[in-house]
Parts: sequence; structure tokens; C-alpha cells
Amino acid sequence: MTRQLARTAGAAGLLAAACVAWSATPPAGRGFGPAILAAAVACAILSVVRLVLGTAPGDALVYLNPVLSAARQSASLIRRVPWAEGLVITVLVLEALHPPRPWHTGLLGVALVAYLFAVHLAESRARLAVLRPQVPLLAVGLGLVALAVAAAMLPAETGTTGELMAMLAAVAAVAVGGLALQR
Amino acid sequence: MAAQQDLPVAAAAATRQVRPQWSASAHARRLITLALAGLIIALITRRPEFAGVAAPAVLLLAAWRPGRPGQVGVSVRPSATRLSEGESADLAVSVTGYGDHSADLVVHPRYAVVPGPGGLAEGGEFRLPFQVTRSGRRSLGVLEITLRDRCRLTEGRAAVELPAVDCYPRAGAQQTRVVLSRLPSRLGEHPSRSPGEGLEFTGVREFVPGDRQRRINWPATTRRGRLQLNAFAAERTQNVVIIADTSSDVGEPGSTPVDHALRGSAAAARAYLAVRDRVGFVIYQGTVRWIPPGLGPRHYYRIMDLMLDGPGLAEVRSRDAGITRLPRAALPPGSLILVFTPLLDRRLVETLRDLRERGFSILIIDVLNAEPSGSRDSLSGLARRIWRMEQQAIRFSLRELGIPLVHWDGEQSLDEPLAPYARRVLVTRR
Repeated sequence: MTRQLARTAGAAGLLAAACVAWSATPPAGRGFGPAILAAAVACAILSVVRLVLGTAPGDALVYLNPVLSAARQSASLIRRVPWAEGLVITVLVLEALHPPRPWHTGLLGVALVAYLFAVHLAESRARLAVLRPQVPLLAVGLGLVALAVAAAMLPAETGTTGELMAMLAAVAAVAVGGLALQR
Repeated sequence: MAAQQDLPVAAAAATRQVRPQWSASAHARRLITLALAGLIIALITRRPEFAGVAAPAVLLLAAWRPGRPGQVGVSVRPSATRLSEGESADLAVSVTGYGDHSADLVVHPRYAVVPGPGGLAEGGEFRLPFQVTRSGRRSLGVLEITLRDRCRLTEGRAAVELPAVDCYPRAGAQQTRVVLSRLPSRLGEHPSRSPGEGLEFTGVREFVPGDRQRRINWPATTRRGRLQLNAFAAERTQNVVIIADTSSDVGEPGSTPVDHALRGSAAAARAYLAVRDRVGFVIYQGTVRWIPPGLGPRHYYRIMDLMLDGPGLAEVRSRDAGITRLPRAALPPGSLILVFTPLLDRRLVETLRDLRERGFSILIIDVLNAEPSGSRDSLSGLARRIWRMEQQAIRFSLRELGIPLVHWDGEQSLDEPLAPYARRVLVTRR
């Protein structure tokens, strides 16, 4: 394992742990909470293991003893499953199980984006500089996160309708941002 | 002689056009997951902050632009097509026609090929270092080229089969040589017993008409009152035939008797060719292949090529009596025969006995460094003891026939086991 891979895989691991801990706080003691938390922890660990394993070795035709063969099959299974996607979904579901806390959710979104970029850098063995063209988009995206969080923190006057309008406004802002950037 | 600079450098490779298979990258799939999960949860829970979580992913996905190269040109050129075990070489890979995309290259190596960390060199070429750890004709593997767009949302993958290289055995260390007492009358570098025009002083004799005056030994002439002359030994070459027994491949890969036999043979061939001896080579495998004794650096590479399953001058299909059937050109009378063998093949042992009885001078280098593995129970232990006794009996019977036998572990210099026979000439007994 190269130093660069160790650095990016380590960063991905730390961000995954932070996302899981952030979304699980405070811990939910009943319902689906513990099961989803366990799934999130498993996804976080295995996504980092997948990064460390890298691509499959090419000398598959060489005879291997049963222990090594089983280890290779396990590694192959770990490589096949998209653990990072699983982590994203489980962490967002964990967060949704909690009562609304907009700034908390916004920070979780930022951490998830950072985690996805760390995973990509580790997976493609690329340097941080390859993300330079995406910096303006990320800046706009973070602005939209802040906008959505602020919209969610505004007091709603008419209960359910107000919540729905705030949510639709946030979705519209995201869509408008995306469409504007395409031009 | 085996230095890399002497080896031929691969010719420039032609550019091949390959079509990449394009698909959404894993990064894009993860961003889609984040965007969809955020928006769906926002709609279900009616919480706008989740739509905000999806915002960066949506924006990054919105930056995707169509337009990608349909095919790219790839040329691969190894810095050397002939290597020794453990020697490093480079693959110079040139990829063209991928526009503003980025290209990442990964080598998926085949058996005994170890790739190193590569990178972009001057001139836009990628330099991918590699080593081959075991001798043979080795395919380097497959080169995977991954093209990515600026936002790294789409990936184009193409695979290119890498060329094969010839990996010669790493020659062991050998400085000294075993020399026979009787040498054929052909000019060489070994001092023989017969007087001649060499450099090694052997004594003083009386002048006879026709002798060269510059060789008169004046102190001896003054003492004896008659003209005395310095006498010198003639310098002769010797014929050496190296037999490598590669019929038994046991033990750890990389240190099997086959590896040691080939490395030892390479060391002996190099040592004898360096003093202009004529060296022949016989490889004893499924068939017996051979090349007759020859001279010079080019002959060294002929021997190396034969080690890599190259064509010999001839091939004897029947292994039972293969070596005894070899013609006179392959086993010249009076030649020294060096045999690198684990002595596991009974037919070869019988052949060596037969050759000794025909008057050849044989020296066996035992390259067996492994034992049968098994459990530690008493029956396995007994079987191992019987096997060891059989091996000792084979070696004893060969020594009784007057065949010197030394053991080489494949790591130390060959000079150490050969020292008792390299210090003085090996007396030829018929």
C-alpha cells in the first residue's frame, strides 16, 4: 500500500466514522435504529477495507492453499458490493429517524460529500489536484446546503403546508442551480 | 556478459487503436445515490435540509458533458525483451487521442511479474517499471487504461495485452574453474602438462638447434657450461558439457532444483566461456535437447535461449537413453561433464553411470534442497528416513564409481563446493 493510498483511505475511514457517529447521535434505543446503525458501521468498515484491497491480483491461475483461496474469495466479495452507497443510504436514514435538526443534517451532507471524494481519490489512486475543476461546483453546492438549512430553520406559520412549501423551495433551488450550471 | 546493456533493446512498437468501453464511473454512481437518497427522504419526511444534502451531488452530476473519444492509440515498448531474474526494466507506454480526458494506467501482472510504481515521464510517455522474478518466457500481463472526463463522472476502460519477455536465469557466482589433466590439443588458456609456447614456466632444458634464442636462461647456462633454455607449458582449451536436469521441480517456487540447475548452469557457462573454453549444453527434461560446444558471448545467449525452451540443435525424444545416444559433436571425447541435478530421476543416474564407464570425466553438482513434506507421525517419519537413505545410497554408489559429487544450496558461490576440484587439475581416469 502506497503512502498516498494510506492517506486517502485513512481520510475516507475517518470521514465514514464521523458520518456514522454524527447521524447516530443521540442513539435511538428502539425501532429500526440499532439495526440501521449496525448496517452503517458495517458499510463504513467494509468500504475502507475495499479501498485497501484495491484491484484483484492477476495471478489467479496459481495454485493457492485453501486458506488463501478462501481469503481471495472473501476479498472478491468485498470488492463486488458497493459499500459506500450503502453507507450513504444508511446514514441518511439514521439522520431521518431523528427529529428535525437542520444544521446537524447540513453538516452531515458536507461530510458525506467529502467522504465520497475521499473514496474516489483512494479508489482511482489520484491526487487531490484532479478535483480542481469541481471546486466552483462544490462551492455553489455548499451554498445551496446553507440555503436549504436556513429554509428549514425558518418558523412555519401554517404547519404542514409551510413545511411542504419550504421543502419544495429547497428542491427548486437545487434544480435551478443545476440547470443554471449546465448553460 | 549478462549485463543489461549487452541485451537487445526492443524495437519501437506500432501504435494500436483500441476502443474504450464507456460507462458511468463509480464516483458518479455514488453521487447519484446521494442525490436520490437525499431528495427521496426530503419528499417523504418533508424536511428541506435533506434536499440541501442532495444539492452538491446534483450540481456535480449536472456538470456532465457529452463527447468522448471513440478510440485511442496505444503503443507499448519494453526497454528490454531479455532480462535476468530480478532485473528491473521499464515499459514505455504512449497513449494518444484522448483529448482533455485524463488517462490512468494499471498493469495486471501475470505470474512472476512484479510491477513497480509508474508515472508520467518526459515526452508524455508513461513509464511503468517491472521485474520478472522467475526465469522463463513470461507474458507481462494486461495493461488496463482508464480514461476519465474532467468531472470524473464517466470512465472509458480498455485493456491491452502486454508483450512477453525472455527472463534468463540469474547466473550464480563462479570465479574458479575445474580443469582436466588431459586437454585436447587446441589453443586455449589452460596450462597443460605438455611443453609448448605458453606463459607458465615449467623448467629448464638443454638448447637444441631451432630453439628461439630469446628463451636462453643465462644463469643456468653459466652454471652448467652448456646452453640452457626456459621451458613453458602449452596452453590448451577444454571442452565442457553442462547437463541441466530439469525433470524434477520440487520445493518452493523460485528455489526448486530446476531454478538452481539453470542458475548453476548459467554460472558455469559464463565462467568457462570467459576463458575461451568450448561449452556445450544439454537440457534433460521431457526430452533431451542439446547444442554442441561453442565459443564466445553469442554462444552464451544460445545456451540461455535453450534454457527458455528454445530450439536446440537437435532433440532426442527418448529420455531413457537420451544422453548416451547423443552424437560425438554434443559429447566430445575427453570433455568435462558438469551435471546440475537433484538426482531424483533414476534414468539420469543410470545414464551418468554409463557415461562414467565410457570414460567421461563427470562432476555432479547436487541441487536438491528440499525434502518430502508430510505429517509428523511415525509412519511419515519412517518414510522420510527411508527416502534419505535411498538418496544417500545413490550418492555413495556414484562416488564409488569415481564421480565427484558436491552439494550446492543455490545461494552461496559455486566456488565453495567446487573448491576441492578447482585448486588442482582433475585427473582423468579411464
